Amino acid sequence: MATVAIPAAKWNWVPPYPQGRTANNLDADAQLVERCLAGHDSAWEDLVKLHTRRVYSICYRFTNSDAEAQDLTQDVFMRVFKNLKSFRSGEGLFVVWLTRLTRNLLIDHYRRTRMDRATESIEDQVKVLEETIAVLARTDGMLAGREASEVLQAGLQKLSPELRETVILRDLEELEYREIAQVLNVPEGTVKSRLNRGRAELARVLRRHKVRI
Amino acid sequence: MTCAELEILLCDYVDGTLRAAERSALESHLAGCSACSELAKDVAGVTAFIETVAPAEPPAELLTRILHVLPNGRPVAEKRSWWKKLFGGWVHGMLQPRYVMGMAMTVLSFSMIAKFAHIEPRQLRPADLDPVKIWASIDDRAHRMWDRSVKYYDNLRLVIEIQSRLKEWTDQDQAQVADASKQPASAVKQNVESGKQKAESSQQAPPSGAQKPEAGSEKKR
Repeated sequence: MATVAIPAAKWNWVPPYPQGRTANNLDADAQLVERCLAGHDSAWEDLVKLHTRRVYSICYRFTNSDAEAQDLTQDVFMRVFKNLKSFRSGEGLFVVWLTRLTRNLLIDHYRRTRMDRATESIEDQVKVLEETIAVLARTDGMLAGREASEVLQAGLQKLSPELRETVILRDLEELEYREIAQVLNVPEGTVKSRLNRGRAELARVLRRHKVRI
Repeated sequence: MTCAELEILLCDYVDGTLRAAERSALESHLAGCSACSELAKDVAGVTAFIETVAPAEPPAELLTRILHVLPNGRPVAEKRSWWKKLFGGWVHGMLQPRYVMGMAMTVLSFSMIAKFAHIEPRQLRPADLDPVKIWASIDDRAHRMWDRSVKYYDNLRLVIEIQSRLKEWTDQDQAQVADASKQPASAVKQNVESGKQKAESSQQAPPSGAQKPEAGSEKKR
């Protein structure tokens, strides 16, 4: 079995995120919300189109289930439509508000399905592991794209919910530390601490599965 | 710089947003601390790995599904009338295709049975709807049904046997009471004395041979 070589520390590493959100689309969010509240029918559709991907991604990465992620995304937007009046654009960004709402639903879902997960058969877990090993054997541990996504997905499930959500919000959804702190309702220092622990734990899990990182 | 301080600054270091002074202090700590160096390697490695990961794309139908649930882009404000609130639940359930189909098949089955049994429903006339007539008919039917059921149970063999047995016991009791009242008091006294004598004689020791058959009978058992 090939050992995993962790590359030398990338001290000159540049942040991967030229942040996807700009002042323009922040304004666009605020305008969309105003139009929705004013009763423009097309604004609701635009809002859903604009944010479905983000909400689905968070739900999918957290639950590791396409069906559950779809249901939860639908629930999130139902809740957005019911509670949009409670959003105040002066008090924060719409993205943060939406992410917090998504996160609250995910936590509720996590608590509700605790018993289901406890009774999840060991065969399912073995199957996922076998698939991951097969992918790694084919690619000699160097992964990218969809295969990397699958392996990351398996690795994320090994993290505790607290660490998992922090890694998802920062590394996959590219939120700022301040925004993550608002979503999780914890200090920024706690966010960074959880992020370090989550990343280190994820590195150990990936290394255990012979992934080159 | 301590390890705890490094942990707080590590995220910014990996992001490349640290100031030069903090960065040099952090790097000098990393050079002398293997644990922190290992942590920094892991963090940087994972962040670089996640960068290569393909985003999770929602299926195309999800958008349609969400918009379908929210027609015209607005949430459906469902206003339920009092009629729906009262009966909506179970009527809605009854109107499901499987129940409707079941009901239809039941009606069809009964109508076929009635046809083959030559049961023909009588045509309803306006006179049949007179309340007095309806009440008289119901009353008559109820009485008839009650009489019929009583007669049915009376004619059951078991019921007849129980009734005859009870009658026998009652008759016997009455006969005994009548006999006892006819006997004079002196006769009763004699009977009592003779009974006492019999009891005393039976208390005396029985003959030795009397036990043998009993022992033999026990052995046989």
